[in-house]
Amino acid sequence: MALPLPPGLTPTEVAFLCEMEMVTVVPRQKLESLDLLAGATQPLRPPHRVPLPLWLALLLKRQRRANILPPPWLLPASLDKILKHETEISTETFSPPPPHPYAVSVLPSATDHISPPFLPSSTADSPPDYLPYHWLELGEILLDACSDDIPDPDRVRTLLRDLREVRMAKMRASTKDLEGGGISSLRGVGAMEVAEGREFMVGVMDGLRKLGASREAARREREEDEGGGAGQGDSEDEDMELE
Amino acid sequence: MDISDILQDLNHDRDPFADDDYNDSRPSGQTDLQALTRAWINERGAAELLPYPKDNLIERATNRIKAQIEKVEEMTGDMDPKTNFSLIIIQTEVERWKFIIRSILRARIAKIDKHTLYYLSTPELQTRLSETEIAYATRHQQLLHGHYLSSFLGSFPQQLQNLNDTAGGISMIGGPDEEGGVFVRSLGSSEIGGEGVVVRGRGRDGDGEVEVARGEVVVARWADVKEVVEKGEMELV
Repeated sequence: MALPLPPGLTPTEVAFLCEMEMVTVVPRQKLESLDLLAGATQPLRPPHRVPLPLWLALLLKRQRRANILPPPWLLPASLDKILKHETEISTETFSPPPPHPYAVSVLPSATDHISPPFLPSSTADSPPDYLPYHWLELGEILLDACSDDIPDPDRVRTLLRDLREVRMAKMRASTKDLEGGGISSLRGVGAMEVAEGREFMVGVMDGLRKLGASREAARREREEDEGGGAGQGDSEDEDMELE
Repeated sequence: MDISDILQDLNHDRDPFADDDYNDSRPSGQTDLQALTRAWINERGAAELLPYPKDNLIERATNRIKAQIEKVEEMTGDMDPKTNFSLIIIQTEVERWKFIIRSILRARIAKIDKHTLYYLSTPELQTRLSETEIAYATRHQQLLHGHYLSSFLGSFPQQLQNLNDTAGGISMIGGPDEEGGVFVRSLGSSEIGGEGVVVRGRGRDGDGEVEVARGEVVVARWADVKEVVEKGEMELV
């Protein structure tokens, strides 16, 4: 009954999550609107494009009832550009994630706290120059299910593999930041990369934390003594602790 | 009360356009799916048991599924090939929802199994469990204790039979590791017009506050981000 898995999503669960991403579909057959749990789908009328969740698009594709339009970032030209960015411009960090499609306004709205996979980052009108959070899984799934809809699939496959290698090296290098504890940023990281690296990264973090535990405790004690003795802290950290 | 709730749910599901009406206080299916997905990922990501999803989310999702299955059963009557395909789609979606709910509940049971006494030890921790989960945990602990008593505890001296001793300053009740590392994404401050979320990270050689921009993924200790995750300003990934 109980789930025998360690904390954190496994790669298969990430793939399941990725199937909730919206993609753009060109129907080849009519299909009336369906009253799904997550809301009604738009009726399919060829050749009008419709956004649908990936799992439904795959189902339609498998039955040859529709074609999937690959997202603009999955085209060879865009991937080339992103790869260049990853290898030449930001050689230490990941290329930036797509900007949030819903800007925060003064009035609080329902879109303020939406996150992947519910952002439209893989539809036909998504920005071409950024890798979205589910880039690797989505690319692999689309290459697998509808390589006939993707221009130059072999080139896309090679580019995806190159990107993956470059970024995996960055992920491994980022463990250096973990040494002192605190918060380390992984801006632009992908879901599958998190799932793959999780066990290693968390293991490194926990190991280092345990090794440095006495040092951390000693520092905390010292800071507390100083703060209590002098009546006022002389470092920013202590100031914050007093608040 | 339950019946009227379900009926209201049914009526609600009949009218897909009501979902877009933002004056409607009942959450739409899409909102529920998003909340459910977030609850699932958070529960799967944290080593500690999180508070049971608020506002009857699980019950509401279960009711939606029940209503949908009833509809499928009605539709199975007329078997023309076209509705047949629609049925496959509807059923696939139902299975996906069921998977998420099952996964949340099973992840919770695994955590309760692991540290039963810990979650039952204080009233504050008990509020994180649903009624059924408390019943489950209590019964689980009873069985375990009974088994320990009959197999070995019973032959110990009376004062050594406790399972919750705090002698020597160390509690016998173990809890989850709150300092473990997690991957979190900032969802943006819940203050009006706020962008990033400020988190105080504790390190070996110094502590410090960091502002995490909306959408940014960071690695942090669970204890440092726990509060903002429960406030909904961050989510685990």
